[in-house]
Amino acid sequence: MGDFAVPNLLPLPVLLPLLGAALALAFRRSDRLQRIVSIAALAGVVVVAAVLVWQTDASGPQVLWLGAWQEPLGISLVADRLSALMLLVSSVVTLLVLLFAIGQGHADSDDEVARETPLSIFHPTYLVLTAGVANAFLAGDLFNLFVGFEILLFSSYVLITLGGSASRIHAGTTYVVVSLLSSALFLIGIAATYAATGTVNLAQLAIRIGGLDSGVALVLQLCLLTAFAIKAAVFPMSAWLPDSYPTAPAPVTAVFAGLLTKVGVYAIIRTQTLLFPESPLTDLLLWAALLTMVIGILGAVSQSGLKRILSFTLVSHIGYMIFGIALSTQAGTAGAIFYVVHHIIIQTSLFLITGLVERIGGSTSLHRLGGLAMASPLLATLFFVSAMNLSGVPPFSGFLAKIGLVDAGIAVGTPLAWVVVAGGIVTSLLTLYALSKVWSQAFWRPLAEARQVAELAAEEAADEAEQFEQAELDAGRRPRGTTTITAAPTGVALAVDTSPRALPRMMLGATAAMTAVGLSITLVAGPLHAFTERAAADLRQRDPYVTSVLPEQVRR
Amino acid sequence: MAQLLLLHLIAAALAPWLAKTLRTKAFPLLALVPATAFAWLLVVATDVRDGNLPTQRIPWVPGLGLDLDFRLTTLSWVVALLVTGVGALVLLYCTWYFRDDDPTLWRFTSVFTAFAGAMLGLVLTDNFLMLYVFWELTTVLSYLLIGHNPGSSTNRRAAMQALLVTTFGGLAMLVGIIAIGVHHTYSISALLADPPPLDAVTVAAVVLLLVGALSKSALVPFHFWLPGAMAAPTPVSAYLHAAAMVKAGIYLVALLAPVFAGAPAWHALTLGLGLLTMIVGGWRALRQHDIKLLLAYGTVSQLGFIVAIAGLGTKTAALAALALVLAHGLFKSTLFLVVGVVDHAAGTRDLRRLSGLGRRMLPVSVPAAFAGLSMAGVIPMAGFVSKESALESLWEEAQEAAPFPSIYGYLALAAVVVGSALTVAYTCRFLWGAFATKPGVPPTPITVPHPGFVLSPLLLGVGCLALGLLAPFESPWLMPYAVTLPTGASPEPLALWHGVTVPLLLSLVSLGVGVALFAQREAFARAQARVPALVDGERGFARTLRAVDRGAVETTAVTQRGSLPIYLASILLVFVALPGMAAVTQGRLPEVRLWDNPAQAVVGALMIAAAVLVLVTRRRLTAVMLVGATGYGVAMLFVLHGAPDLAITQMLVETVSLVVFVLALRRMPTKFTRHPDSPSRTWRLGLGAAVGAAVGVIALVASGGRTTTPVSVDFPTEAYTFGHGKNIVNVTLVDIRAWDTLGEVSVLVAAATGIASLIFVRTRNTRLSRATAKALPSSNAARGTWLLGGRTMRKEKRSVIFEVVTRLVFHIMLAASLYLLFAGHNQPGGGFAGGLVAGLALVVRYLAGGRYELDEAAPFDAGLLVGLGLLVAVGSALAPLAFGGTILETTAVDFTLWPWGEVHLVTSLVFDIGVYLIVVGMMLDIVRSLGTGIDRQIAEEQEQDEQQQETEDEPEELQTEGARP
Repeated sequence: MGDFAVPNLLPLPVLLPLLGAALALAFRRSDRLQRIVSIAALAGVVVVAAVLVWQTDASGPQVLWLGAWQEPLGISLVADRLSALMLLVSSVVTLLVLLFAIGQGHADSDDEVARETPLSIFHPTYLVLTAGVANAFLAGDLFNLFVGFEILLFSSYVLITLGGSASRIHAGTTYVVVSLLSSALFLIGIAATYAATGTVNLAQLAIRIGGLDSGVALVLQLCLLTAFAIKAAVFPMSAWLPDSYPTAPAPVTAVFAGLLTKVGVYAIIRTQTLLFPESPLTDLLLWAALLTMVIGILGAVSQSGLKRILSFTLVSHIGYMIFGIALSTQAGTAGAIFYVVHHIIIQTSLFLITGLVERIGGSTSLHRLGGLAMASPLLATLFFVSAMNLSGVPPFSGFLAKIGLVDAGIAVGTPLAWVVVAGGIVTSLLTLYALSKVWSQAFWRPLAEARQVAELAAEEAADEAEQFEQAELDAGRRPRGTTTITAAPTGVALAVDTSPRALPRMMLGATAAMTAVGLSITLVAGPLHAFTERAAADLRQRDPYVTSVLPEQVRR
Repeated sequence: MAQLLLLHLIAAALAPWLAKTLRTKAFPLLALVPATAFAWLLVVATDVRDGNLPTQRIPWVPGLGLDLDFRLTTLSWVVALLVTGVGALVLLYCTWYFRDDDPTLWRFTSVFTAFAGAMLGLVLTDNFLMLYVFWELTTVLSYLLIGHNPGSSTNRRAAMQALLVTTFGGLAMLVGIIAIGVHHTYSISALLADPPPLDAVTVAAVVLLLVGALSKSALVPFHFWLPGAMAAPTPVSAYLHAAAMVKAGIYLVALLAPVFAGAPAWHALTLGLGLLTMIVGGWRALRQHDIKLLLAYGTVSQLGFIVAIAGLGTKTAALAALALVLAHGLFKSTLFLVVGVVDHAAGTRDLRRLSGLGRRMLPVSVPAAFAGLSMAGVIPMAGFVSKESALESLWEEAQEAAPFPSIYGYLALAAVVVGSALTVAYTCRFLWGAFATKPGVPPTPITVPHPGFVLSPLLLGVGCLALGLLAPFESPWLMPYAVTLPTGASPEPLALWHGVTVPLLLSLVSLGVGVALFAQREAFARAQARVPALVDGERGFARTLRAVDRGAVETTAVTQRGSLPIYLASILLVFVALPGMAAVTQGRLPEVRLWDNPAQAVVGALMIAAAVLVLVTRRRLTAVMLVGATGYGVAMLFVLHGAPDLAITQMLVETVSLVVFVLALRRMPTKFTRHPDSPSRTWRLGLGAAVGAAVGVIALVASGGRTTTPVSVDFPTEAYTFGHGKNIVNVTLVDIRAWDTLGEVSVLVAAATGIASLIFVRTRNTRLSRATAKALPSSNAARGTWLLGGRTMRKEKRSVIFEVVTRLVFHIMLAASLYLLFAGHNQPGGGFAGGLVAGLALVVRYLAGGRYELDEAAPFDAGLLVGLGLLVAVGSALAPLAFGGTILETTAVDFTLWPWGEVHLVTSLVFDIGVYLIVVGMMLDIVRSLGTGIDRQIAEEQEQDEQQQETEDEPEELQTEGARP
């Protein structure tokens, strides 16, 4: 190990989970071995990612040309500060979600709900998913980035339809078809890029795109941007998300919400800064950011199911990241990176908490929940802290991330930037509104009152739905599809347990740990922010990346 | 100073535990925390007075300008004294306010202590962003305290109202802070020392800051949240909503007044809204029957008054503002605590039911009287002294006409007199309401309060008197702040007696009018009832919230249609509008060579025809075949381009896809459900055509824009010299871009698992049922047979010819698949193609002999095969590390293998074997799931149907039986 080169670590975040998946498939009849393998693989990735963060910060981007082919023939894996940071955060998140899922499996083992996460399907697929996420972060090659996307997408198709219930298949259809379309568009973008430049290596693209006619470069840029924006759920290409995420099992939704959209955001940051620095498309992206934020949060306000509320806040807050990217300044990029880190962790926490809420309350509909603050003070504390964090209340990470962006926006100071700053502030307030409604109804409101209201609401909703349909018909429109605007509880299903189930320790532990990770950002905010500033500086200079990847004769 | 905050934080963290063990005895212990801070403030008092300001700097997020900077100025010293002193006394008071068996003690103690810490931080910090941090913390903690009894929906609504209103203001303030910070500084002391020029951005920032201050201090139009906040337990009202938190807004105004009092709109917002609030609050207070609510409106009124004075911007006003803050903090917390005692003792706060308490509760009524006199501004109370100096400052303004025209000064004086008269009136109403013996109301039964319970109000009440008497000694401690104001002469020190001055006369007028108003209270109440509400902030708030809710629902109804076609359409529209339009408008199209070989045109035309036919066919199977035809067309194009490898793979993939579709289509209707005249069909067609055109133009533009040679020109030579293979495609797949392949095979692993998951749902592990295991009729088993499993099929499904052919072809196909695998590196082929061929062999076996035959042919679990393949592939990727190479590096090994001879083995073959295994495993999964699995489902359903048939038949039989005579 003495002469072990750090770049050789680069493939490990992909290979370890794949090895784990292979072993999990091989040990398919032993739950215990599968668990051990999965935990070991993901824990290994956390260690590797931590080493990479340290190494990239100390000595610049780490590059590995796989198969030792002469540059730029083969595929390169590259970890710069941004990649390493993304990798570290995502590996910590995936490990904790795995623990949550295992806890759920333990708790369910002799239960009807054992079907939630069938182990022999969950473990290998989940590991392949994490391999895909890691590959996307490490890819130094546009086509390999596509492959990373495909790995994570295909495993996500499996995970989102886990259990095969009608609602999951329905949601899964939306998800799969939209994702396939985005993959197709991405592939078209890659083909066009290769056609124009004759390479798919990102570093080489960085050089060659500069030599293209600016009109052609713009076409390539917009192709890639469109494909990534679907993945990142940027308005008007975001509607698929709230319709597909909420039905999946809790750990799956948690990791999807936390990670998958951020892979899209990562890809936007990477390509915008590395390949198209001359064309920031600031106005276009600012508008996209504004609409994503505001329309997303209005969606959250309109919902009455916790999972859907959170899915809409997820979309909405993607707008913040796009805002940072759009500004195209170092502070903006740093702000976006910081926000990504924050948002991965907080969204995952909130969805894990939602999983626990569902266990304890038997539902995630605000019409049916009540009394949770009394039922589980610890869960209530976790939710409250996380909800405040997401709403950007100080001193949590959401606040720090937000002021980074507002700061960058005001520094740019164009009228449109000011408008987006205002939009961001309104979004923040409405996030607080949406989540405090959840707190007020699910946690504060006594259960008995919740039941009464549910009965009334069911009646009213039935009336309203009738009137609504009538109005729609009068207006000559077809009645709406599956969108639940009021999410009227069909029938008075008041199957809420009077004696809430005790929460399994491991699930609670994993959730608490996830929340604690989120809170710890507050403590390490200084170094973390400095790190994101350095990462953003690297991205804007481009030089560290390109020179580490390509030897001089190729760079000419 | 950070240590004091840390102390609060630790105490808040330990509080739940303390409360669980010590119950209410935890309160005196926790009271020591703010008391410690209070003591420290006393220790450094002289330093602050003499200008040796204690400071402290701890970096937190230097990159954002967010650091834990502290600095104790006179202004913060004064407010901090109030915050810590009242905080300690209120915590002590809680010992008797709460019952020992209150189950909520653990969180109340914690949140309350944390609040005290946040409040202290707010006044100590020297960093504007930190100020916001503490500011928001107080908001959120106050939210939790207001909702302390969340059982009633009114309380919950009040809590949320307070949260949203103050957060709204807070966020506005945040933008203001950052606007100043980005262009100037976040350091408060630096800002005060070197104020920025009043340009547009700064003025906007100042207005935003004031919005924050006004919302926090409950000024019109934000005033309504404060009375609502009375849902909180009384100690909370006393501390947060009288002494501490609502002073934050005043603190901010006072902080900024020295540098921004000259900004446009400053006086309109502070003085204008402040005095309006003073009158509105006083007016409303006179209409309350709940003595706590009465005090709440009184607080609103007083806060307006103090903001007006603090914002005036002269030295005299600054001194008066500090005196007002202290006096108000003392008398208002006394009164609230008194209300708490009365409430506990009498069980009601309704002044129509309280009667005769004054004499019976002297330890409470005496401090209440002190505090009340102070509130009304009666000599010699602290309230008198401060109000005198406030009137003095306005009088001086009117005389000097600085900083604004004297007409406004006189108007302000008049407003203050009116407001003071109302204050006197509601003070009388309070004292009378709480303590007087009312004719016709029986004396309210009371329980005698614990002496400890009345200790805090007593101390604070005496403080009201003491501060008034000690007024002359007060000034030097406050003066350092007053002199930081740029306008006005050095103020007169505070005193009880300045001689007969205009302010004294005005004071007397307001006293007289106030008492008269109270004396004529019934007539006045009737008059009030006839005046419509001036400003109804609450209704405005509710209306805004409803509008937001409604807007949200309507917007979401438009954007979130729940329709996949619409989602796809919006994505495609973006694609056409952005990259498509960019391609079209960039102007230059390259010259197009239509074909190299006319056959390409023929194939292309056929593909287009097939694609068009897909649109019109109504049968699913036909559609699948047509889509397959386009795929085979692509394979043909590969052939015509001279890429047999790709062509073979493409052919195989198409074939497998067709099989998969056919297997799956068994469970679907044969025809598409379609609305023939759907209007959406037209625009879908149009959009589809536009997308196709866009992709075409993009492809043309991109390939026409090429300026450099592609990297692939080096592939042929490099593949041979470095990759040891003549088949460039295969070397690319297993070596140059083996990493991609590894990724793609893990996609296959996921896909295979997914198919199994969808069909078997609960497990990856399939039950094997081999043909031999099935009890075959022994007579049949004796005879020779082509395919054993064929016996298990229904007769009408069997085809002997198919069985014979299968028997003959199966092993040949397997051999061919192995050939493709091993020859792949130099000849067309490879692990992927080989795996597909092997998989198709299994498919054939299944189709001919049914599911038992399949398990006979492949008596192992598909998951295991897939796992093994992945293990081999990953293992071969990692192996070179052991020999000092790079991951996925390839070497050629030459050796002699008897009896074969010379063997030239390239290590990438091992990788390809992994690929092969995975593909075979995936194929097996497909056949098992979509073939066997669906077979089983169909069989089960048939059985169920039959059973159902039987059960449906049975009753009839019974009936007929029963009908039989």
